[in-house]
Amino acid sequence: MTVARVAALLLALIVLPFVATPYALHVAIVVLFNVTYTAALYAVLRMGYLSLGHAGFIALGAYTCVILSVRLGVSPWLGIPAGGLVAGLFAWGLGALTLRLRGIYFALAIFAFGEIVTAFFRAFDWFGGPAGIPGVPRPAFLGTPLASHFAFYWPVLVVAVLGIAILYRLQYTRFGAALLTLKTAESERLAESVGIPAARYKTANFVVSCVITGTMGTLHAQYLLFVNPQVFGSTMSTDLLIYAMVGGLAGFWGPILGAGLLTALGEQLFSVGYWKTLVYAAILMVVIMVLPGGLADLPRRLRAHFGAPR
Amino acid sequence: MNPVLEVRGVSKRFGGLAALSEVSFEVARGELLALVGPNGAGKSTLFNTIAGVAPPTAGRILLEGTDVTGKSSHALARLGVARTFQLVTLFRELTVLENVVQGLHRHTRLAVLDGLLGLPRYREDTRRLAERAEGVLALLGIAAHRHERADALPLGIAKLLTVAIALATEPRLLLLDEPAAGLSHDEATRMMDLVAGEVRKRCTVVLVEHNMRIVGNYCDRAVVLQFGRKIYDGAAAGLVHDPAVVDAYLGVAEMDG
Repeated sequence: MTVARVAALLLALIVLPFVATPYALHVAIVVLFNVTYTAALYAVLRMGYLSLGHAGFIALGAYTCVILSVRLGVSPWLGIPAGGLVAGLFAWGLGALTLRLRGIYFALAIFAFGEIVTAFFRAFDWFGGPAGIPGVPRPAFLGTPLASHFAFYWPVLVVAVLGIAILYRLQYTRFGAALLTLKTAESERLAESVGIPAARYKTANFVVSCVITGTMGTLHAQYLLFVNPQVFGSTMSTDLLIYAMVGGLAGFWGPILGAGLLTALGEQLFSVGYWKTLVYAAILMVVIMVLPGGLADLPRRLRAHFGAPR
Repeated sequence: MNPVLEVRGVSKRFGGLAALSEVSFEVARGELLALVGPNGAGKSTLFNTIAGVAPPTAGRILLEGTDVTGKSSHALARLGVARTFQLVTLFRELTVLENVVQGLHRHTRLAVLDGLLGLPRYREDTRRLAERAEGVLALLGIAAHRHERADALPLGIAKLLTVAIALATEPRLLLLDEPAAGLSHDEATRMMDLVAGEVRKRCTVVLVEHNMRIVGNYCDRAVVLQFGRKIYDGAAAGLVHDPAVVDAYLGVAEMDG
């Protein structure tokens, strides 16, 4: 993206809360959550690893923040980086253990991890049990809690923009560029032979993705005012994958586009419950079959089809 | 001056099977050495032990006098050991140019912070890398393919690209695993002319080769392995007259090459 486009987008995001209705602002906040999660998931997909349990790291961030503020009386502000840190520590350990696995084995290991996280919180009353923990406090600014959509929009925007900017620019560091060489075991051997420390890079990238995911998860819990094991369960993990695939995996902006569009649509369907899952699944099937490159590939496909005559 | 590579009494066992038994040899700076032997003689195992993929069970490996036994593949690459693989191995989804840029990884200065902030230094480094990669492609005569995807290349070009990636690391020691295998006569000649010419000017080369014509025409010295033991170490030209070597290869068609 050009500097002008980024500036225009940022300006629009800053102006938005001053002109939007509270409902529109609610949609915008949820879009920012999902867009950030999906961009973080894409960073892992980009190195050839299918994370089927990324919502587990949202849950780790969310619960860390909630336990700290509700059970231990720590400031919700402190809970935000703490959630990211805990998610990152778990990602470090888990990544070191599982990133040597490939394909379906890695995907299922991470899926199992996501299930373990939610099962753990469900199992202990101190962690809220099946009902979760209500009464999650929001951080205060100048003594006033960020109670309104307008007020809470700002920390969400800051974490989303910072997280996405880091993920975007990371692709262009020597570290991020080298991640493209780790997609298969064979190409990983070649990468090692030219001096790329594959295992270290994979773990580091996984940690970055999960720190950003977990940090946003803390704000998510504060926004909902509660956590429970269902919200950040396996459906959330598969939803994130659907966003990324519908948007298209060829570039950085595809998953973000997919997350933005589907989340905005999903919020419209929220009142009719299970329709959301049905519609997401249907859209995914249609996109996979008629537009395998995802929505981001649509302009190119249209140009190819209705191409300007020479 | 220390030899570039010293292999001292290297053994490698897989369970009860001895793939290598006390193999010792040296490679002098600027030498082009062939590693020869029938299938299963332990050539690839030896390559993997030198390149850090599989550490030896016993023995030492020295790089310019420094013990590098047991170092990992990526650590050895940073110390100046590059290699190609017997099966053509490329970054398949990347273009030819991008493949070579990845080979330059240890020479990039794109520190994470520079890249994150998009500092001018970052753009400078990106340009410098592309220039260096172009230089390597030109050296091997495959610059015309720069924007083609690696998985779409014909075998001859793909094999040259594997050498280009390895050469981009600017190694002291380059290990080539059957660089001419599978190539037509003309392609093999082109490859070996390059290896014995431009590539050799830049680093010491050890190659695995079956074809005696290639060994005799291009290499200075040959080390022959059979059943994991060294049975010959001497001039490449004298290879075909050595009784032990002839015996090991008896009935193997490639002898005529």
